[in-house]
Amino acid sequence: MIAIAGPDLPHEVLLAAACHAGPIAFDPERETPQALQWVESKFAPWAFAVVEGWAEHAYDGLEAVLFSRADDTSQRLYYYICELQRRGLLAGPEPLICDIAKIPRASSVDRTADAVRKLAQRLGVGDEALEAAIVATNQRRDSVPALADGKRCLLAGTPPPDDRLHRAIAAQGFVPVGRTLAEDWADLGEPVAEASGDPALAIARGMHARQSGSRSFADPATRLRAAIDACSASAVVLWRIEEEEAQCWHLPAERRALDEAGVPALVLTRRDWLARDGAAAEITAFLSEITP
Amino acid sequence: MSVTANQRSRKTLACTAEATAYQKAFGAELRRRVVEDREPYAIVQADTPHELFHAMDIPIVTNQWWSAYISAKQLSAEYFDAMTAKGFPENSCKYCSLGLACTLANDPERAPWGGLPQPTVLVARLTCDCIQQVFGLWAEALGSEFFPMEAPAWTDKDPDWFLHARDDWRRVYQPDRIALMVREMHDLIALLENRTGRKFDEAKFHHLMEQINVQEGYIWEAAQAIGNARPCPVSIAEQMPNTMIPQWHRGSDWAVAHAKKFRDQVLEKIAAGEGASTNEKLRLMWIGAGVWHDPGFYQSLEEKLGAVFVWSMYMPFAGPAYIRELQGSPMEALASRVASMNETLHLPPWMSGWMVSEAERCGIDAVVILLPPDNRLSQSGNKLTALALEQAGVPVLMIDADMVDAKIWDHDKMVGMVADFLEQRGLT
Repeated sequence: MIAIAGPDLPHEVLLAAACHAGPIAFDPERETPQALQWVESKFAPWAFAVVEGWAEHAYDGLEAVLFSRADDTSQRLYYYICELQRRGLLAGPEPLICDIAKIPRASSVDRTADAVRKLAQRLGVGDEALEAAIVATNQRRDSVPALADGKRCLLAGTPPPDDRLHRAIAAQGFVPVGRTLAEDWADLGEPVAEASGDPALAIARGMHARQSGSRSFADPATRLRAAIDACSASAVVLWRIEEEEAQCWHLPAERRALDEAGVPALVLTRRDWLARDGAAAEITAFLSEITP
Repeated sequence: MSVTANQRSRKTLACTAEATAYQKAFGAELRRRVVEDREPYAIVQADTPHELFHAMDIPIVTNQWWSAYISAKQLSAEYFDAMTAKGFPENSCKYCSLGLACTLANDPERAPWGGLPQPTVLVARLTCDCIQQVFGLWAEALGSEFFPMEAPAWTDKDPDWFLHARDDWRRVYQPDRIALMVREMHDLIALLENRTGRKFDEAKFHHLMEQINVQEGYIWEAAQAIGNARPCPVSIAEQMPNTMIPQWHRGSDWAVAHAKKFRDQVLEKIAAGEGASTNEKLRLMWIGAGVWHDPGFYQSLEEKLGAVFVWSMYMPFAGPAYIRELQGSPMEALASRVASMNETLHLPPWMSGWMVSEAERCGIDAVVILLPPDNRLSQSGNKLTALALEQAGVPVLMIDADMVDAKIWDHDKMVGMVADFLEQRGLT
């Protein structure tokens, strides 16, 4: 089985090979003394938990872990794990990387398609199986349950490690709308073109076009407005962690977008990944003052 | 915080003053072309294919050079404050964003050159999550266009890459990565031709690539000689400008001639038995970008402890990173240069493999690594490199500081940290 550790990956290939283990499991609360010896402070916090788990043989049952170049921590961690294995400091599954190229140019789409083909070839997946996986995955995309009724609060920014912030929102009577990190990695994205004659290219086009993530070229303010509209949000919590290096550059534009949207918003930046800094209490206080 | 920044470094080579004078004159000429004559120009990252612009006679302002220029004028703190005032987080990456901060501050009265005018294009390789955001915002603020270039994954990992980069570059840097970079460079050339009306001259480009090999060959020779010499004839404060300034002008007649002159003066000093310091007892290696706002830091422990910084990446990197046997394919050779410049300095196994080899080659006694707190790219690979160096028997000190942000740099404290480290490791 192959676990994933990053966004925008080609789920169809893993599903076609019947080896998709889902997002790599990790305990965000664990102490990470071994990882701290090897990984620098600005890496996304999940990296430390994953490296520690790797060192403690938590992933020995996996055949491989697939990293993504659509995220800086994910792609760097690929090289780190390879090196630690080369030096004999780690064992466990083989690290793989999917070379996802996000620049809005044909050369980057083609590069991504090559990456999909390379993975499919490695896993022995032919075009027919890939096409069938596209159809099956599109059916799963169509069957996503609708959002629950009620006041909705959009949780935007850094995908949190679990539902701790979602619970704080729900406790105030709001329906939380926003993905955790594992949900973000597992997200299938928009439907992929069927019967295109080149399933790898069709999958690559979908990966390339996805607008979430740190390497997306989509306008962040437009995305935020679209997300607010899509869920008819009554409130927005924009939460970003200290280690965030990409989205933080869009904060001024996002503040303007929030002002224009006229939706009550709480902006929390440079925050603790585990929310030990009182984020839940701040969310509670913010939402408690919003009149439905 | 008692900051004693911008202490001067001591220079001993005649060619160093010539290089800085040339760069000063070039800066004035570049300013004339870009600001006064309003020629089409580009803002580019250091690891992009400058050679294409040189071959088309399109002026470039390199982001890292521009950042160092602003930093040397003691304006970095002010501009970062201005950026924070505009709503950007205080912990945003400092190294790549000082130019953007200067533009956003929009203070032509105080800005160098009155601030940069609208460029034809901005070009950066996407070597981190941050850079595409910075250059995208910068392009927007300047009313220009951003041409990003991919930093493709590198799965053929040879720790001894530096031994084979010159002649076996197709294998080392991977044919598929080279092909992608070539395709992107052709797209960039087409854009530049469309926007500027200037034509890409294949013959001029080929000659430029040959000349760069000659130039970097001189620097490589000098680096080899410095590594073998005792005492070290030239401080890193002089290695840097004599390598970097010609590198900004790589392939030009002046750059080739200057590289030769530098090599000759290095060899003369070695032959005369002269050292950069009269008191060399410990040979130190500096890993990281230069601390532009306090160049005197590097010579601060020479007199008291005999601790001399003899190595920084800029000069020895010239050989493996730049020299390429063209093999009839100059564009592919350039692609191999561009495809991995950042990766070899910041990712295992390339970074650690090269640093350990260089420490051994140069007889390094201890290493100081810069660990910028707000910059994942610059931090990257440092801990694994430190571990590899320690395992090779070379003590390592990692210091939390930023190469362009003077606000978090305390000269006396940093010098004290290095002195304490050397003492604790039994070296003094």
